[in-house]
Amino acid sequence: MDNNIDKIAQKALEKIKNADVTELESLKIEYLGRNGFLTQILKSLSKYSIDDKKSIGSKANRVKNIIEKEIENKKANLKEALFDEKMRKEKTDCSKSFYFPFPKGTFHPVIQTIKNISTILKSLGFLVVQGPEIETEWYNFEALNIPKSHPARDIQDTFYLDGLKNLLRTHTSPGQIRIMEKQKPPIKVIVPGRVYRNEASDAAHSSTFHQIEGLSVDENITFLDLKMVLTEFIDKFFGSNLGVRFRPSYFQFTEPSAEVDMQCIFCKGKGCGVCKNSGWIEILGCGMVHPNVLRSVDYDFEKYTGYAFGIGVERIAMFKYGVNDVRLLYENDLRFLKQSEFNY
Amino acid sequence: MKVSYNWLKKFVDFDLSPRELASLLTSVGIEAFVVVNGRFWTNVITVRVLDICKHPNADKLSLCKVSDGIKEYLIVCGAKNIAVDQIVALAKVGAILPGDFKIKKSKIRGIESEGIICSQKELGLECDSEGILVLDKGTKIGNPLEEVLDKLDSVIEIEVATNRGDCLSHLGVAREIGAKLRKIVSLPEIKTLNIPMLNCVEVKSNLCLRYIGSTISNVKIGPSPKWIVEALQKNGIKAINNIVDITNYIMIEMGQPLHAFDMAKLSSKQVVVRNAFDLEKIIALDDKKYELDSETLIIADVQKPIAIAGIMGGKYTSIDEDTSTIFLESAVFNAESVRRTSKRLNLSSDASYRFERGVDYKMAEFAMSRAISLIVDIAGGKVEAKEDLQNIKYENSKIILRVERVTKILGYTIEKNEIAEILRHLGIDLQPMGEILLCTIPSWRNDLKVEVDLIEEIARIKGYDSIMLSLKEKKSVNKMYCPNSSFLSAIVEEFRSKLKGLGFSEALNCSFSEIKELNKFDLKYYYKISNPISKENEVLRPSLLPCLYKNLMLNIKKGAETITLFEHGKIFNELGERKTFAIIAYGKVWPEWWMWAEQKIEPRYDFYFGGGIIKNILPSDEFIIDKNAIPKYYYHSGKNASVVYKGKIVGQFGILRPSITENVKGEVFYFEINLDLVDEFYVCKTPFYKMYSKFPVVKRDISIIADKTLKFSKIEKVIESIMKSGGVLKEYSLFSVYTDENKVGKNNIGYSFRLSYQNNVRTLTDEEVNKDMNVLLDKFNSDLGVKLREKSNNGVS
Repeated sequence: MDNNIDKIAQKALEKIKNADVTELESLKIEYLGRNGFLTQILKSLSKYSIDDKKSIGSKANRVKNIIEKEIENKKANLKEALFDEKMRKEKTDCSKSFYFPFPKGTFHPVIQTIKNISTILKSLGFLVVQGPEIETEWYNFEALNIPKSHPARDIQDTFYLDGLKNLLRTHTSPGQIRIMEKQKPPIKVIVPGRVYRNEASDAAHSSTFHQIEGLSVDENITFLDLKMVLTEFIDKFFGSNLGVRFRPSYFQFTEPSAEVDMQCIFCKGKGCGVCKNSGWIEILGCGMVHPNVLRSVDYDFEKYTGYAFGIGVERIAMFKYGVNDVRLLYENDLRFLKQSEFNY
Repeated sequence: MKVSYNWLKKFVDFDLSPRELASLLTSVGIEAFVVVNGRFWTNVITVRVLDICKHPNADKLSLCKVSDGIKEYLIVCGAKNIAVDQIVALAKVGAILPGDFKIKKSKIRGIESEGIICSQKELGLECDSEGILVLDKGTKIGNPLEEVLDKLDSVIEIEVATNRGDCLSHLGVAREIGAKLRKIVSLPEIKTLNIPMLNCVEVKSNLCLRYIGSTISNVKIGPSPKWIVEALQKNGIKAINNIVDITNYIMIEMGQPLHAFDMAKLSSKQVVVRNAFDLEKIIALDDKKYELDSETLIIADVQKPIAIAGIMGGKYTSIDEDTSTIFLESAVFNAESVRRTSKRLNLSSDASYRFERGVDYKMAEFAMSRAISLIVDIAGGKVEAKEDLQNIKYENSKIILRVERVTKILGYTIEKNEIAEILRHLGIDLQPMGEILLCTIPSWRNDLKVEVDLIEEIARIKGYDSIMLSLKEKKSVNKMYCPNSSFLSAIVEEFRSKLKGLGFSEALNCSFSEIKELNKFDLKYYYKISNPISKENEVLRPSLLPCLYKNLMLNIKKGAETITLFEHGKIFNELGERKTFAIIAYGKVWPEWWMWAEQKIEPRYDFYFGGGIIKNILPSDEFIIDKNAIPKYYYHSGKNASVVYKGKIVGQFGILRPSITENVKGEVFYFEINLDLVDEFYVCKTPFYKMYSKFPVVKRDISIIADKTLKFSKIEKVIESIMKSGGVLKEYSLFSVYTDENKVGKNNIGYSFRLSYQNNVRTLTDEEVNKDMNVLLDKFNSDLGVKLREKSNNGVS
């Protein structure tokens, strides 16, 4: 009987090897079906002695499993071959040009720069607030300790509206006053937005541009905090180990005041045309909020101190993306805008 | 302003290169660049000019044979002042001049030049110069130039903050160097002369704070000595004659502007300082006539104005070669008054620049003595009289500095001793009173007014970069409530990202427009700029359209076939300052492509494609598209629609009016939405999962025939009313429109819809679907007279 089972198994495996899908189905019936060879053997076990029953039974079962598995395998192989054939037939020349119905869309470098700067500053604890672009002299000048006689108030620098009643803000600093009027410290905000200067436009100047104002006021806010926050910001934004220097400067609404220079990203500080051979590029102005500014919003300037900074967005965007003429940013020529490098 | 490196050394002793000095000045707040540096050239030697002849191919050039004693060179030269036997500087081939200017062998009009004969400018010795540098006759030839020029100076350009008028002189800059290096600054020595104090001035206006006048007779006018001429040249001031040059020299040395009048040309022995009378006139040194008014401070003789105080002297009383007696002025004028007058007359000068920023009250006297001393030395003469009129009683201001406040503001501690040392070196007098320092401010520091000004001085001189940053992040509290803290609101972010995916580019325009442009779009309400510098800045944009339309035209001109732009920003109209978003789209939706070519699909940004984009980018069904609202003028009267949010029209889109786009081939699609009205949408929205039906959808197609004049929106309304009535109709889409009269009949139009039916709680039966569909068809018929053309099963899924 043992030999018989072996023979059946050998024959079955031979047949499976060369079978197609329909043949496999009949082989399944022939061997494993209700009247199949192996089923028959298992059914006839009662004829044998107990020992033989055991050995023949287990062997028949083993062979049954093997055949079952082989048939499944063969089936799977045949199916796979069918798909292979399908793919061979469908093969196309993959090197032809691809198609997407819409061309590539792009974001504007200035907006992206504002977003990137805001994201970093938000991670440093600043909230984003915004203010109006049409302002009054109080918010734009007086409250910021810029008296009437100051050259910054010269009419040619400021766009006036309605006679001289209102004006277009010349910086985002009025945002400082507006937020401080609204609430008491602690305050830690940035005010991004559009600002205006009444000057002829050239490669470096545009009558419309953007700034991001930063303000932090609380007890015990110091110049050191300002330096830390800005150093951190510059590290994160430019993501490089370029040097940063703080240089004394003068703004009416801060004291002490500073301008921050970054090592020129084009020459790495060696000196080139972009940085006027100095190796440094000015990127922002900052300082400790002047007591007169705190006074104008009725803050106790003995108790509270604060810092403020203002970042020129176009300037930073131009350095970051290597744009050498600010007018390119406002012309909206698609040949400029479609440069998708700006999306990051 | 420019300062000379060597001159600064006369005031304060320092051991720094020009570049190091520039960076020291920058570190204390005076931005400085070395503009002329006499130390940076190679391969420049002294040569003698042997022979000059005309360049055969150029009238203005000459060929020069020069010799360094051993070798001869042939040089092409364009300078007019070249002559045989001169000793000149030759930059040989291979030389490097300032500005990284490399000298190469080159042919000039066909003749090869073996180098160039240098001007002072080319050598970086002067900012500007005419002709070539001619050296002294006895100069050795064949030597490197730097060995021959012993007194090389460097010029440093400085930018002084508007509050630091005291730094607009060599003395002022030297004081900053002294403070930083903790060194003494010494003033030049002057001879004390015995001068009779005699009345020669009358001050009649309180705009003049101090006036020192002096009469010197028998001066001899002539050219200045070389050292004065050179000093002025480095600062970009032209030498005129010894008297005028001395006044200018002292201005850049001490910061005090002076003026000299020719006494013989005055109609009185006494000068008067007074406000001008209205309509009084003066012809100033620039040959222009200025009309004065009662707010203008002037210097006058008994008859006429002889100078606009602090700004410019009069032409007819100026020093000339025949002058013999001079009247010299050293004064302090009200800074604001000088600024106002300078602005009003549109006239400024080196003097007004300094007066506007405030001059040192006490320096006026020293500067006068120094001037007299130099004049007597150089031009001879006898000092006849001097008078010093002080209109105010000057007192140095005093500020209390609390030592602990320094730490409180700066965040790091500077020892009290060091604070005192720094302040003293700034010329501040100190009286310690426990933890308080009583500071007496020197007369030249008008900018120091409050305690925090002194704290800046301490931080600045100590050095901003000397602060060590501790890595520990300090507490960063923010108790503010801010629901939507981002630069762009959520809806703008949604529009932007979707539109970018659809191939749009983000545009950014200036906020201005021209009235002429606005008229084209019939935009009647706008904010006028009171003082525009050009027509481009005439008005604030009342819509994003004029700018975007300009962008469109530019890109069409540059050959773009598809132009899709969006912009968000403020507009200014009858509603005030409004946040707005807009898109403009024009041309082919997609470029030619090999696979579409067969199918001849060529969609353009027309009304329906554009409208589809609007439907896609609007964030929810709460935004309803209303096709019946009255459009703005600039839309095509037959191709427009409005976007309604919470019952209010918030935006409109459509094809631009053909009369506007007359010069454009094809239609232009435009959409503008007022963000102020929809920003709240995201703020108050809490997203919530909506249960969907798990039972199969049954789809049916129907075709109907309607009268051509019937508005499609009426048909839509009927379908929507059925959907809302709680039946099993869930969705519909219009998939075909027939206009062929043979098929649909005269004056008719046919529409085909695909209707989707679904029940929320069980599988639909055919009867249910039929019943619901019949309700719709009945309503079509009864409400609109619309009839069924055919219906079909679209399979059940």
